[in-house]
Amino acid sequence: MPGFPFPGRPGGEHGEPLLDMIFSGRAVPPDAPQEVHDLARLLAALAGPAEPGELAGEAAARAAFSHLVSPARISPRAPRPARQGFRRPGRHGSRRPARTRVGLAAALTVTAAALAGAAAYVGLLPGPIQLIAHEAVGAPAPHHHREVSGAAGSLQDTRGQRPPASHPAPQPAGAAGATKAAGRVGVAKPAYTPPGRGTAVDGCPTARTWQYPALPGLRFPVLPLPSPTALPTPSVRPSLLPTGASKATGPGQKPKKSC
Amino acid sequence: MIGEAFGGVLARAQAGDEAAFAGIFRDVQPALLRYLRVITPDAEDVAGETWLQVAAGLTAFRGEEEAFRAWLFTIARHRAADAGRSRARRPTAPLALAETPDQPVAPDAADLALEAISARAAVALIATLPRDQAEIIMLRVVAGLDATDVARIVGKSPGAVRVAAHRGLRRLADLVERAGVTH
Repeated sequence: MPGFPFPGRPGGEHGEPLLDMIFSGRAVPPDAPQEVHDLARLLAALAGPAEPGELAGEAAARAAFSHLVSPARISPRAPRPARQGFRRPGRHGSRRPARTRVGLAAALTVTAAALAGAAAYVGLLPGPIQLIAHEAVGAPAPHHHREVSGAAGSLQDTRGQRPPASHPAPQPAGAAGATKAAGRVGVAKPAYTPPGRGTAVDGCPTARTWQYPALPGLRFPVLPLPSPTALPTPSVRPSLLPTGASKATGPGQKPKKSC
Repeated sequence: MIGEAFGGVLARAQAGDEAAFAGIFRDVQPALLRYLRVITPDAEDVAGETWLQVAAGLTAFRGEEEAFRAWLFTIARHRAADAGRSRARRPTAPLALAETPDQPVAPDAADLALEAISARAAVALIATLPRDQAEIIMLRVVAGLDATDVARIVGKSPGAVRVAAHRGLRRLADLVERAGVTH
């Protein structure tokens, strides 16, 4: 192009400063070629003020800003705000958070009810509550109301025990999935030991092997049902073992601790 | 560009001042839209997504006005690339150019003959250049970025940016001459 020097062309060593002048927006010398002036005018229009329609998105941008950068959110510990605000035409806002909260609350309520029911059926609830459950839905009575029998030479106390795997306890409807959770509710369980070892970490036998020593001829009386207002506290519950009774141990077994 | 007052405006915007943010928006949005019209057919949508991301990260930004513009236009470039990938995954029937408001149309001689050529006509002319030359010219002129910042955004060396810019201006001058711009 005549009159407009560019790098690599005759006189091109003078073109770059002019081009840089154009890029920087500085005034072009009057003696510069006409093409340079045309380019300068073109680029000035390119960087000119806003034209009609170019600020149409301001309202949406301000709305997004006010949501994401409100003074209440600006704190050292403020959680990172969720990405909201700008919506493309035709897309609807999501109302999932409210429905999700309601569904989550309902699920938690159902789960809590199922856990309570399962706990009642395995006798894990506190005494007064277990008694109420026993009278209302037929859950096992509190441990101190159960009839014990010494005729068979063994006493099974389901206090704090999980039902054996081969004989699952009857489960109320809907609580089948909560059995394992119920077994962990509110009771410190001894650590699991594989069958055959017989003792847990603290020396107490596991649920499968926990048996009272065989005491032939010993028959424990059935304790009368107390009135709801006169339930004994755990500290005054009568011991199920006669005081001073020795604990017989089988061959190869260590003396059992009181668990 | 806002100039020396940018620091104060930015600080107020970061503190939650909506009016300060609106001032930044009005200053940058025309340049942003014009830049996006050269590199993507979804300029309006991509501009909206860019401002959303800018608003989300505004409180964490630290720097001067040039750094802010470099940051903003970097976000815009990435959002435009994402839009291009989304469009490629979901091809749609092509619309006629006249039905696509964001698609720049080559200006005719009447547009270029105006004493005060419009920004839209200028953008349309730039858009006829090769993509890399058009983008670099827009970032240099419209975004007000220097060659180093432009090089960082487009992934080239500063020297390559200068060469591409000068070649673009040469082509632009040829186009203007052929279009018969009157003075």
